[in-house]
Amino acid sequence: MAFFLQSAWLIPVLPLLGCALITFTPLRRNKAASGWTAILLMILATLLAVGLLAATAQGLALRDGQLVTLATGHGEAASHGEAKDHAFSFPEPNVVQRINWAPTGSSLLQLGFYIDTPVAAMLAMVTLTSTCIHLFSLGYMAANPRQSRFFSFISLFTAAMLLMSMADSLLLFFMAWEVMGLCSYLLIGFLYERPQAYRAAIKAFIVTRIGDVLMLLGMVYLYTQAGSLAFGTAAGEIFHPAFLERIGTEGGLLGLSHATGIALLLFGGTIGKSAQFPLHVWLPDAMEGPTPVSALIHAATMVAAGVFLVARTFPIFVADSGAALAVVAFIGAFTALFAATIAVAQYDIKRILAYSTLSQLGFMVAALGIGGWMAAMFHLLTHACFKALLFLGSGSVIHAMEATPVIERLHHKDEYAAQQTAQDIRNMGGLRTRLPWTFWTYTAGYLALAGVVPFAGFWSKDEILADAFKGGHWVVFTVLTVAAFLTAFYMTRQWRLVFFGDYRGERPVVFKNPEASLAPDRHEDGHGHESHGAHGHQNTGAHWHEDPVMIASLVVLAAFAVTGGLFNLPFALPGGHWFASIWGQEALPFSPLVAGISLLVALGGIAAGWTLYGGAFARAADRDPLEARAPAVFQLLNEKYRIDELYQASFVRLTALLALVWAFIDDVILNGIINGIGRVTLFLGRLNFIVDDTLFNDGPDALAGGTVTTGKGARRLQTGKAQDYIGYVFGGAVVLALLYLYVIGR
Amino acid sequence: MELPPYLMASPDGVPWLTLLVLSPLVGILLVGLAAWLRLDDRMVRLGVTAWTGVPIAIAAVIWTRFDPAATAAGQGVVQLVEKVPWIQAVRVDYFLGVDGLSMPLVLLTAVMAPVAALASWRLTDRVKPHYALLLLLEAAMLGFFVALDFFFFFIFWEFSLVPAFFLIQSWGRENRRYAAFKFFVYTMAGSIGLLLLFQVIYLAMRQVGLPTFNLIELGRLGRGLPVEGATGTLRAIIFAYMEQLGVANVLGRYPLLYTSIAFWAIFIAFAIKLAVWPFHTWLPDAYAEAPVAGSILLSAVMSKMGAYGMLRIMLPLVPDASQYFAPVMGALALVGIVAGAFGALANVGGDLKRLIAYTSINHMGYVMLGIAAAAALPGGATLDSRAIALNGVMVQLVAHGLSTGALFFLAGALHARTGSWSLADFGGLRVVAPTFAGVMGTALFANLGLPGLAGFVGEFFIFRGAWATLALFTALATIGLVITALALLLMFQRIFLGPLNDRWDTLADLRPGEFWTVLPLLALLLLIGVYPAPLMNLANATATQLVAVFQQVLS
Repeated sequence: MAFFLQSAWLIPVLPLLGCALITFTPLRRNKAASGWTAILLMILATLLAVGLLAATAQGLALRDGQLVTLATGHGEAASHGEAKDHAFSFPEPNVVQRINWAPTGSSLLQLGFYIDTPVAAMLAMVTLTSTCIHLFSLGYMAANPRQSRFFSFISLFTAAMLLMSMADSLLLFFMAWEVMGLCSYLLIGFLYERPQAYRAAIKAFIVTRIGDVLMLLGMVYLYTQAGSLAFGTAAGEIFHPAFLERIGTEGGLLGLSHATGIALLLFGGTIGKSAQFPLHVWLPDAMEGPTPVSALIHAATMVAAGVFLVARTFPIFVADSGAALAVVAFIGAFTALFAATIAVAQYDIKRILAYSTLSQLGFMVAALGIGGWMAAMFHLLTHACFKALLFLGSGSVIHAMEATPVIERLHHKDEYAAQQTAQDIRNMGGLRTRLPWTFWTYTAGYLALAGVVPFAGFWSKDEILADAFKGGHWVVFTVLTVAAFLTAFYMTRQWRLVFFGDYRGERPVVFKNPEASLAPDRHEDGHGHESHGAHGHQNTGAHWHEDPVMIASLVVLAAFAVTGGLFNLPFALPGGHWFASIWGQEALPFSPLVAGISLLVALGGIAAGWTLYGGAFARAADRDPLEARAPAVFQLLNEKYRIDELYQASFVRLTALLALVWAFIDDVILNGIINGIGRVTLFLGRLNFIVDDTLFNDGPDALAGGTVTTGKGARRLQTGKAQDYIGYVFGGAVVLALLYLYVIGR
Repeated sequence: MELPPYLMASPDGVPWLTLLVLSPLVGILLVGLAAWLRLDDRMVRLGVTAWTGVPIAIAAVIWTRFDPAATAAGQGVVQLVEKVPWIQAVRVDYFLGVDGLSMPLVLLTAVMAPVAALASWRLTDRVKPHYALLLLLEAAMLGFFVALDFFFFFIFWEFSLVPAFFLIQSWGRENRRYAAFKFFVYTMAGSIGLLLLFQVIYLAMRQVGLPTFNLIELGRLGRGLPVEGATGTLRAIIFAYMEQLGVANVLGRYPLLYTSIAFWAIFIAFAIKLAVWPFHTWLPDAYAEAPVAGSILLSAVMSKMGAYGMLRIMLPLVPDASQYFAPVMGALALVGIVAGAFGALANVGGDLKRLIAYTSINHMGYVMLGIAAAAALPGGATLDSRAIALNGVMVQLVAHGLSTGALFFLAGALHARTGSWSLADFGGLRVVAPTFAGVMGTALFANLGLPGLAGFVGEFFIFRGAWATLALFTALATIGLVITALALLLMFQRIFLGPLNDRWDTLADLRPGEFWTVLPLLALLLLIGVYPAPLMNLANATATQLVAVFQQVLS
């Protein structure tokens, strides 16, 4: 067991090694070899992470290289029922290793690893889902000529997420966080010939960076106050009780306490990274990346990072009077509902999942906002599993759709339109029998997301609702309940339209590509194929195919989607409240009332979706039943409240305008002044010459004459030939050297 | 000569710094010899590029002989000192030395020289003078960073303009004459105040019996540290001289007034070089019009001379005025950060080199912000905060040198392939030149401050240090972080992403020679980004001592 604690540092290093091997060695020329290298290293990392979780769960820890067992904090806190309003504490860390990273005046800045039980759980989740995603990509990306590069990027992405999870301080956390931003840019724009892809990539990077700079300010604010950014409760570390007490009471700017200011700035990072309103706009566009990327971004990494940030710095959020948490709760609850309503009116299978991710992240953020740290972390972990499952399942569906003759024909004309058409749920239907493995695993993910007992999502979502209920946060409770209803509804809509009814893809709704003229069809040269023609069956009937490695990863994830709730069952059974006990948190007692409401809401949503879409879409081109009932509302939701358009018309335009303004200031005003001064000087010189020449003849003239002569002489020196100048320089250097010798000689 | 404790001679008696400055000049002699022997241009290229290894080797020796932790008598110890009386009549000494402020920049200069030499590899027009001028520029810049007597400091300062001017004027692009002239006259005009100021300081010092151009002694007096043979602070000395001249009766008996005048004389001279807004408009012209080697040396090293001048002269000599005007410097820095970022954005459809030039203005804005923050009131800030700001400045200088040097080099390589500088002409090149795209992407992300690469370290510590004293400016400066990133990503997109522009179907990927030129820069960026301690240790002790004076209210 000590082995797992000692080798914890290997967990992010292994995928990083994978990235390096694939990028810099000849491995990159072999798609299969590079893929398997990445996968094997990921499997190793997964084993280490699971071992680490097991070791830390037993309370094992390293102190000065010695194995010790943590006596307190484990299991004990769970039995304490009394609620201390502001008290929140992490369990004792199991492994802390730091090195001196940079000198900062009289002090030193250290960086390293800090692993406690919640971190160990994160590491296990990230490695597990990421391994499945790696495996899936082996099949899904097989036809892409850049598959090796794909593996190197997703390995780097995973390494960054792992490093972030086990960072010992906010600085290293932020560094890994930004590397993830880079990876998301690279992966969303992976099919970089497409304007949509690189635009989405830049959008993702810039929008998240807006949040990141707020987080950076929060960090420097915190660093200035605390003198360090290290996690931990010792003096000088950021969770030191006396320090938290101080920043919670002392005033900063605008009448906010330091803690509020720091927490809100840090939360800016969460808003960007976890795509909360109003910086949510990048996440749906991130669907331009290949589907495994969507799974990675939406489940294991990136968006989870934002929630984890709040979870990791939670003592700061609770250090103030509650102002920061109120904002967190508001943003989270609003996003949960807002995104759920948009998801109702989308047709793209991945986009529906994308908005569902936004909504679920809203659940987690709201949970943190009402103080439900435990519930948020639990939901983060279960959601990662079933959302990865759903995305990979949708990938399997899209993969199969793209191999249909209709789409293949379209593919030869317009690759992008073909892909979009293949992702449109109106063009699917009846896939239950055609893709049975995908159907059953997808169903597990769907039921988990919809919140049906006993699937994973039920338990974790229920815990969030129970927290809101118990804490008396009625607004949050109501909003989340409505969002939960909508979740069950839109997921049923999707599930029903994809897997039931008759197959409608023979006469699909074809996506009209506005960029068709900009993106010339380049499929002949083998570039830009996401998944084209992996199994180029042309005859109908035989083309429905599920890839074995893809199925394997779906099955693994489905197992967790079904059983994920076991990790923290809300009963006082042996094994119940397992996360709560190893994380040293108070265990929430089971509330049959809330569980009942939650289940009822989920079943209600399912029933509504099932009946409403029962007879809908006999043909792909039919109207959506909701659209038929409320066309204006549906249109607004379908266009995502037109927030992208709003930003386009305001911020994007403003930025372009400001660039013009600054260019004008430089090119016209400042350069005008400089050139003006130059002209005036020349003019004065000429004037001076005239005055000298006509009015004075003696002294001044001689002076001027001298100047002119010198100038002429100098001009004669200025031949414009560089050789001559070098000659002068030499002359000067020689003279200087002689002088030097002379002086030394004295 | 008996040296005070804060000066330390070369431990082995070898005049390493003189050798360092002379080594590029010897290289010029060799070029001259090659010209005399009518050797082939290829030999010259190869020879000069190889010869740039000599200053690197000497700089490496200096690095090993340099003890960054040494401090004495309230300042970082100036080491490898060579101090010889030179012009006795005006008490000019031949005085060279390195401390924590100059050591990183000496190393940077030495490292960038071969990159510049390699960037001129395909030059066919007047090759020998071109390489001779590059070496001359290197010598002047090295000399500037190690000269500690104002006389030599100023000579090297002005002298560096000459080769730069001719590089721009003779090998530049269409608008080179205007750019070279503007660059030369602007810098020259800006330093007149500096020159006059030191005449006054010399005379004032003569009144107290210590006429000197010694920058270390003057810096100590400025900060109120004891100097043998003089009493009082530089501020008091200048004021006494003003009283004696009767100036104080006319202008007023405010000591701060006279240090303020001194401050502005110094600030303007160096702000022009550092391209602080609104003194920056020479920079896009000069960087864009210069030949690639010139752009590399101008952006990577020359602009650092401005920052170094501020650290070497402005902060120590007139700390009171620096502190007083720190908010003004901070405001100019902020405007420069924003202006540079938006200026870069305005060029995403235009000239590649102008875009990179504008990002340089943005990055030098952070440097200015860090320097202003180190000097600024209020007292609440800890000494560490100020030291962190200056440490950040030093890392930022090096990081920007490396990343911008790499970007200009790659821009030149792109131009050599396509004959175009216009971002409207490219598109989709990543398909045919994936390595090029990867390498340029790395340089670009280093430039926009991606953690794990050096740029982030500089920016983070500058923001951290600046928050303690200039929180509002720091907060607003983050606009620059977003907009520069946008501009650089759009630049990358215009060149490499999207459908391939059919004109470049057969474009060559990065050649091994080009790859191995840039790789050391990227490796250094990665190294510093992952583990900055070796670099930051160089400057930390000196910077901490330097900013101690600002812990008090000085005016």
